[in-house]
Amino acid sequence: MAVASVTHAGAGEPPADRLYAETRELRLQGFLLFLISDCVLFSSFIFAYLYLRNSGQGWPPPGIKHLDVAFAAWNSVLLFGSGATMHYALENWKHGNFIKYMWMLIFTIILGAGFLGGQGYEYTHLIFGEHVSWWGSGIFGASFFTLTGMHGFHVFVGVCYLTVLLMQSAAGVYTGEKYFGITAGTLYWHFVDVIWVVLFSIFYLI
Amino acid sequence: MSTQAAQLTHGGGIADHIHPEPQGFVRRYVFSIDHKIIGIQYIITAWVFFILAGLLAETIRTQLLNANGGFVSPETYNEVYSIHGSAMVWLVVIPMLTGGFGNLIFPLQIGARDVAFPWLNMLSFWIFPVAGLMLFSSFLMGAPTAGWTEYPPVSLQGAPGTSMWAAAIFLVGVSSTLTGINFVVTLLKMRAPGMTFTRMPLFVWGQFATAPLLMIATTALAAALAALFMERVFGVPFYDPTKGGSPVLWQHMFWFYSHPAVYIMILPAFGIISEVLPTFSRKPIFGYKLIAFSSAAIALAGFMVWAHHMFTSGLAPYLQLPFMILTFAIGVPTGIKIFSWTATLWGGKIHLTTAMLFAIGFIALFTCGGITGIFLAAVPYDLDVHGTYFVVAHFHYVLVGGSLMGIFAGMYYWFPKMSGRLLNETLGKIHFWTFFVGFNGTFLPMHWLGVEGMPRWVATYDPQFEFWNRFASVSSYVMGIAILVFFVNVVWSVRNGKKAGPNPWGGRTLEWMIPSPPHYYNFKQIPTVYGLPYDFSHPLPYKGLEDELTDTPPVAAGAH
Repeated sequence: MAVASVTHAGAGEPPADRLYAETRELRLQGFLLFLISDCVLFSSFIFAYLYLRNSGQGWPPPGIKHLDVAFAAWNSVLLFGSGATMHYALENWKHGNFIKYMWMLIFTIILGAGFLGGQGYEYTHLIFGEHVSWWGSGIFGASFFTLTGMHGFHVFVGVCYLTVLLMQSAAGVYTGEKYFGITAGTLYWHFVDVIWVVLFSIFYLI
Repeated sequence: MSTQAAQLTHGGGIADHIHPEPQGFVRRYVFSIDHKIIGIQYIITAWVFFILAGLLAETIRTQLLNANGGFVSPETYNEVYSIHGSAMVWLVVIPMLTGGFGNLIFPLQIGARDVAFPWLNMLSFWIFPVAGLMLFSSFLMGAPTAGWTEYPPVSLQGAPGTSMWAAAIFLVGVSSTLTGINFVVTLLKMRAPGMTFTRMPLFVWGQFATAPLLMIATTALAAALAALFMERVFGVPFYDPTKGGSPVLWQHMFWFYSHPAVYIMILPAFGIISEVLPTFSRKPIFGYKLIAFSSAAIALAGFMVWAHHMFTSGLAPYLQLPFMILTFAIGVPTGIKIFSWTATLWGGKIHLTTAMLFAIGFIALFTCGGITGIFLAAVPYDLDVHGTYFVVAHFHYVLVGGSLMGIFAGMYYWFPKMSGRLLNETLGKIHFWTFFVGFNGTFLPMHWLGVEGMPRWVATYDPQFEFWNRFASVSSYVMGIAILVFFVNVVWSVRNGKKAGPNPWGGRTLEWMIPSPPHYYNFKQIPTVYGLPYDFSHPLPYKGLEDELTDTPPVAAGAH
């Protein structure tokens, strides 16, 4: 049993790898809980949208055209594809294929950025082509831009995070068992994917 | 026995390492990552906000001394009660019970060295005073005037301070959510070996039931507040009916948070009471598992009853009935607790210390508040008294008579653990009795005022209500004096109080096994737990605590 005096900094610490394993377990759980509360944030806005949608006179409200389902569907393919590449990135990392991992990460970033570009195109079309705005188009503009904007912001944060992850990986920050950053990035990316499945269904399909 | 217990251990002291001792005043007391210091910071900050919000309360009562008001203008009066309510709920009771007592006590009670994410804990705390100052600063730009619930459309038309209010409450919410995440991970992963769920002290169970509510419900409120802010600042229509929005949507989103929030405000207080009662009855708590699981049941059911606040908002009758029945059902787990506490007192060797007086007072007053809660849950009766002083009486009985009495019990019980000194018992008893009399004098007449039809949120009222209003106002000053006695007691005792020693009350939970105030690393060696803390006739169910009160240096992990 290691007896240590507390007056020295760092005294009495268990071996580094053991400490890391403990911290990783705590962080993983904390991160999952964060995702749950983030999910509640989305759910609340989704509830608000469905509530408003069902309280008015039909949907979309008078004067607003149906959304372009085909374009959004192709855009969704980009995001779902990025979910797959991110999955393979983590799998390759776990199996030690560093080069494949890096390529998969790069694909994920490109696909995520592509999705954001598509969303930007869709927004431009709606705002300048059909004169729909966040504040001036009643509950349609409010709910559509708030929810998809929130999701887009999450994707944007994810793309930034994955880019940092890419640079960190290239610099050799993650080694062997120490890859919580990659796990967290994967979980976050899948979370953003799943939210989009719901948003796509409730805005474009019903 | 020891081998059997060893098999029952789980993680075996996760994160059992000792941080280097913080050096310097700033790292030790200001930007501290020590859960005990952060807890005390929360408690002090919350008491400061309590003084401000309490002065607002006395302003309300002074205005209502006369039927014609006249102390402040009606507009100011609206601002005063709105900020009073918001501050008491979000800046006093919730932070005091979760960030304050939660941080301070539960890591000690589960035998941990700190919470799971100490830095996140520091961040949670420092968001809180900033948000509090923002909330009070809304007075400078015209405070919100629609009450603490801020129903649209009034809140949409309110002064600019309403946006500040929304931002401030949003920030408190962020702080609560982070605390909730931190506490859940700590509770799941950092319990000492042998501290199974059914051996956790009941205060820990209270926090365990509360933390998920903090994490989940608060986020729903954040969405409602963000929408309100966007609508007020950017004109994005969510709640304005002239643009297709719905004011009732706010009510749904607000109460989906705020009903669980009342359990956030009471479950930790239940926990405090469940610690104080067995200690001062010298008797095992009656129905340990029932109390523990009923906390969890209340927390779960709390998510399914929010619309009972909205019976007069045009809710369809087929929806009113299930909400009414579910709300009645919450009376069952709550009743289980009341009866278990009463049974704990039965045949005990009762020590009437101040903490115990507050705990017994809690049972009496909370039961009254709970029963009027059942009244209000009944649709026909609610339609009659909705928006009257009956509602005011009800929630002050549960929030002041419940949560605040619980906080006082906790203050007297754990002050020695915070400071190393006891609070003065004579002043404490004066505090209790003046508070108890003043409280009932203030809020009991409000039941009658409400039944006779006096509406809440009015600056002037019908002269027929003047007698009981004056009675309530004068009693509220008595309550104010009681609070003053309490603060005098705290300020005096922190320097001159009797030295407490490690365990002044003969408590059996883990925090009493170590010196007062504890070392920054809490335990020299993480103890092993063999049973419930409440079995007063048995030896203590802990191993590994032999060196806690000696001069030997601490031991950390490694060889476990």
